[in-house]
Amino acid sequence: MSEFTSAGVVDVHAIEEELAQVRWKQRREGEGDAAEHAAAEARANVLNLIAVVESERDVDQVSRVLDGLAVHHPSRTLMLLAQPDRSALKLEAKVTTQTQQDGPRVINSERVFLHAHGRVARHLASLVTPLLIPDLPVMLWWPRRPDFETELFRELADLCDRLVVDTDDGFETADLFRLLDVARRRHARCAVGDFTWARLMPWRHLTAQFFDVAAHRERLAHIRGVSVVSGEGRPMQCRLLAGWIRSRMRKVGLEVPWDLRQDPALESGISQFMIYTAGPDQPARFSIIRQRGNRLSTEVRIGDQEQVGRTVRVQPRKAEDLLAIELTLPGHDILYEEALAAAAED
Amino acid sequence: MAQAPTTPTLEQNPLREWLILPRSPDPSAMVIFGASGDLTARKLMPALYNLALNRYLPSGFTVVGAAVTPWSDEDFRKNMLDAVTKYSRTQPVDHQVWSSFAEGLFYLPMSFDDGEAYARLGACLEKIDRERGTGGNRVFYLATLPDFFPVIIKQIGAAKLHLESQRGTTAGAWSRVIVEKPFGHDLPSARELNDVLHTVFREPEVYRIDHYLGKETVQNTFVFRFANGIFEPIWNRRYVDHVQITVAEDIGIERRGAYYEKAGALRDIVQNHLMQLLSITAMEPPVNFDAETVRDEKVKVLKSIRPVLEQDVVRGQYGPGWVAGQPVKGYREEEHVAPDSIVETYVAMRLFVDNWRWAETPFYLRTGKRLPSRASEIAIQFKSAPHLPFQKTAVVGLTPNVLVMRIQPHEGTSLKIAAKIPGPVMRMRTVNMDFFYGSSFLIESPDAYERLILDCMLGDPTLFAREDEVERAWGLVDQIEAMWAKQPPPRFPNYAAGTWGPEEADALIERDGRRWRRP
Repeated sequence: MSEFTSAGVVDVHAIEEELAQVRWKQRREGEGDAAEHAAAEARANVLNLIAVVESERDVDQVSRVLDGLAVHHPSRTLMLLAQPDRSALKLEAKVTTQTQQDGPRVINSERVFLHAHGRVARHLASLVTPLLIPDLPVMLWWPRRPDFETELFRELADLCDRLVVDTDDGFETADLFRLLDVARRRHARCAVGDFTWARLMPWRHLTAQFFDVAAHRERLAHIRGVSVVSGEGRPMQCRLLAGWIRSRMRKVGLEVPWDLRQDPALESGISQFMIYTAGPDQPARFSIIRQRGNRLSTEVRIGDQEQVGRTVRVQPRKAEDLLAIELTLPGHDILYEEALAAAAED
Repeated sequence: MAQAPTTPTLEQNPLREWLILPRSPDPSAMVIFGASGDLTARKLMPALYNLALNRYLPSGFTVVGAAVTPWSDEDFRKNMLDAVTKYSRTQPVDHQVWSSFAEGLFYLPMSFDDGEAYARLGACLEKIDRERGTGGNRVFYLATLPDFFPVIIKQIGAAKLHLESQRGTTAGAWSRVIVEKPFGHDLPSARELNDVLHTVFREPEVYRIDHYLGKETVQNTFVFRFANGIFEPIWNRRYVDHVQITVAEDIGIERRGAYYEKAGALRDIVQNHLMQLLSITAMEPPVNFDAETVRDEKVKVLKSIRPVLEQDVVRGQYGPGWVAGQPVKGYREEEHVAPDSIVETYVAMRLFVDNWRWAETPFYLRTGKRLPSRASEIAIQFKSAPHLPFQKTAVVGLTPNVLVMRIQPHEGTSLKIAAKIPGPVMRMRTVNMDFFYGSSFLIESPDAYERLILDCMLGDPTLFAREDEVERAWGLVDQIEAMWAKQPPPRFPNYAAGTWGPEEADALIERDGRRWRRP
């Protein structure tokens, strides 16, 4: 590990030099040419990944997530801790290497940690740019709700290809507009990814499956509304799910009223999702209900007839899995952006 | 809540738009003939369970197991749970999902030639339609011994289980039949089976399964060739020196002696797996990925194969030897194998595809049992650089570029290229650029049967063999069989278990100045 500290400007070239050398330093003393060769084995980086942490408390947790990604998504990783409110003007940089075992292979990756205090923290993006590997996509992961109004956010969002957030973590409805703004400005270069959206995948999948059946699809044309029941917390989940239905149905010329209900007696997150339809013959209700033990069950009731339902497993995903999914998605997720726009409505 | 102002007609599911996950099939009932057999336990039921687990099956999906074994519904469910517990790729079994799935498992003991049993089956399916909303949609899965295929097909026809009009169900209901390999044992028997099938089912309703086509890595061959712009321009006789396709197995015939004595490697592997890999490797780019378009292109390759000459085929049979540190029996010592058997357990051949793309480019194919390791791969060996401007000492040991698509194990793609060895002297060596499926994607690959069963339920036959495809492949096999029939009996065994086949196979490729790869 190498550390650089400066009151003012950290020498970017020193960090770059350190990054270039870091593999070679892993060679143990006394090992010969073959070991040097192995240590220098070319490793194709597939992206630049920038993670922004809010405080020292988050550093370890975010580091663990990044460690978990190193095997499958070799990347130049920069972790930024910006604390502009601190009085001292200081910039610390650390270059570290991580070693992961993947079966018989040992995989080394490097990470730069930049900790800025005072005014320089607002302009960390200027230090980030020269450290990025050219021609590779830049992913910006902001584990907690970003402060959208800061220069740091704006500058980092400008240089990245994808911003990944978790709208379940402290976001409010107005923030959905801000996210949308990021996705739709500046020639729409920066796509937006959201852990909450990825967590909704099983709900969306089961919902769509109801209407793969032609007879049910006919009922969808008579949709009357949707209802989302949830426990306390994670209100954006409910909005996004309802927003997704609303945005899709608008495409076929139907407006979908929603009813978002919170029940403090229930566990956090969506507990039930129901679609109500009228006609063509009698009313119907299509429900997805969260069960204990990471399962979802489906129910279809047509008139007073209950149809055969089923139960499926839903694997809870860890942060590194959710982030890994985001890192594999190319470009803008139009479905998400349209759902986001609808979810942000009153 | 407000009523929508207008009611559009929804031809497509608007909630499916842009969703990356595959659409789910219509509710249906699958009748598995041979439901108490090994294939159902090892492959079909684990595949269906994993489809249910991953939310791919529709609500109401139902399986009716049909076999001679006198089981009840409960016996069937219990045995299938045991099978899933033992063979499913995902463990442990999720009992809540299993319970929900098992509610749709039923069993009908029957003799396959008993017409009345099919009437009972029809009544059972109608009851399922009413109670579970399967809408008259049927998949008939023939997982029995091949001898029963014609009998079952005829009985399905006689009982009119395949006819929507006879079932009185929702308009638009469909019937499909999945036929396991081997599809016939020669060209006349394959044609006969096709004829029987067509008396009951139309060709688009027939799904001839070759599980190799369900493998992710085989499908990736399509992607590799047709989604990358840089390979197709060099994928021809001008740049390719030759192609080697290998399907090597380290196992013997296990307990399949009786079957293998009738089949041999030529019928068991060459007619289906190797011909499929050859046609995917050599085919022209299809204009789209529709089933008929893709299969048209594959059939064109099979039509272009030059008749095989006697000196271009080698057969072999393993004798006793050592595999993975264990002594193993020779083929003739295996259970249910004749002590003087001349059935081949190894085949190597040189083929030519006579078209503009491949004229005079040899395709070397080989398959064998009890080889040193299990490996299936397609290797494209490119021509050497036309001129090397380096000293001879610098290029010692340099090999031509080889692109290898590994189907199993270590699924992935690798490209051999020359690289300079660091140092003040110009020396070079061959290095590999590797892409490994296992470490590049976090998603576990589904079993081939999962993909293929789902495709059948969705009505997509792209990854199934068409009538003419099967018949063309049998045509080649029959030609070789006829050639062998005229030869004196081979002196078997001619390779020891745990070796890479008979010496004649080495001679086959070495006379062209080439060598087999060590996969």
